[in-house]
Amino acid sequence: MTCEEFQLATLDADPQEQREALSESVREHLLHCPNCAAFERNWQELRDELQQIGIEERDVQAPARVEMRVRQEFRTKHKTMKARRSAVLTSWALAAAAILLLVIGWSNWSHEKKSPVANRVATVRQTVGPVSGKSSKISPAGPELGEVLVAANNSEDFTLLPGSMPGFLGDATVVHVQMQRGALGALGLTVNEEHADDWIDVDLVLGDDGQPQAVRLPQTTN
Amino acid sequence: MHIDLQERDEVLLRRSAAGDEDCFTQLYRRHQAALFRFALRMTGNAWAAEEIVQDVFMTLVRDPRKYDSGRGTVGAFLYGVARNRIMKHLERAPRDLQLPENGDDGYAVLPQTIDMRTPAYSAELGERRERVRAAVLELPAEFREAVVLCLLEELSYEDASRVLDCPIGTIRSRLHRGRALLLAKLEILREAPKRAIAR
Repeated sequence: MTCEEFQLATLDADPQEQREALSESVREHLLHCPNCAAFERNWQELRDELQQIGIEERDVQAPARVEMRVRQEFRTKHKTMKARRSAVLTSWALAAAAILLLVIGWSNWSHEKKSPVANRVATVRQTVGPVSGKSSKISPAGPELGEVLVAANNSEDFTLLPGSMPGFLGDATVVHVQMQRGALGALGLTVNEEHADDWIDVDLVLGDDGQPQAVRLPQTTN
Repeated sequence: MHIDLQERDEVLLRRSAAGDEDCFTQLYRRHQAALFRFALRMTGNAWAAEEIVQDVFMTLVRDPRKYDSGRGTVGAFLYGVARNRIMKHLERAPRDLQLPENGDDGYAVLPQTIDMRTPAYSAELGERRERVRAAVLELPAEFREAVVLCLLEELSYEDASRVLDCPIGTIRSRLHRGRALLLAKLEILREAPKRAIAR
């Protein structure tokens, strides 16, 4: 074994293996080469020093303030994340509620539009223009279901219901309905009890609040 | 780096990513000392080592998804982040190498061994160790990290290669060069014959 080979073998050896790994040829070389013996001794000395330093510094650790800072950062980050998450959740919930409301509104509107009763109501509702003085003639027999009903708004023919204010006919809505005569009693009119069950055609003037304000009774009754 | 420890680290990391502070604290306490020593031995500066350890864990807090379990252990990942910070620090201040101070501020004081032998011997021993520490700090960074991990932290070549993300052969050769440089720096080779004769 040459000195070079010896030094290579010494420096390359794994620290854990080194002590027991001195082979016969190495021992032989050490006996005859004082330089390599000194090298080996120095290397062992250095290795021991390094080992001692490792042992001495084994308990060295980061100051406690590092842990405090890092944990503070951790708390801040997760607090912010929580707040952000709840904000996102709230906004999603609001958006979902708004969409739900829209869907319900649309569904009601389309249902109202399609249903036969709604059709009837829709056809009889009509906003009238300013009072013109012209009166349209009302069908004496009254309309049948499904017919298009047109009600004129000649204000002279209407009877104000109790509690209504005069002069409301400007932009009022006039509806033509079929009802039992007895129902007129609910509007504050006197009804002949004998004919309370009769069906009659009536024009009602609705106020802004949707309540009847005036009534026009048919010229002829059933 | 035992497999159980690795799994435990991953569980701790997963839980801390979900906001569990206790798990994060456990993870911190398991790794901070080794990382601090590594940073301290690489930079020779306790302030810098403190900053580096803090940076490593801040990275873990801010973006735990940076860790990819397919690429290695949590410990190796943390060492890797620390190593990047150390290299940046060394690039910025290559000459700012100091030995840790024995400050009154309770700062990174290296433990002093109690020596029952003569004061002269203790002084010589202390001086020799300081010289070894200084010599380690003067090694080029790539040799220094191999020496620090394998000789001071006593990591196996396999673990060191995982930490430094290089083949075992590279670790071996860096270690070989590091040892040779250390011996040269300490001038032990030159002094050796004299000592041999004295004994």
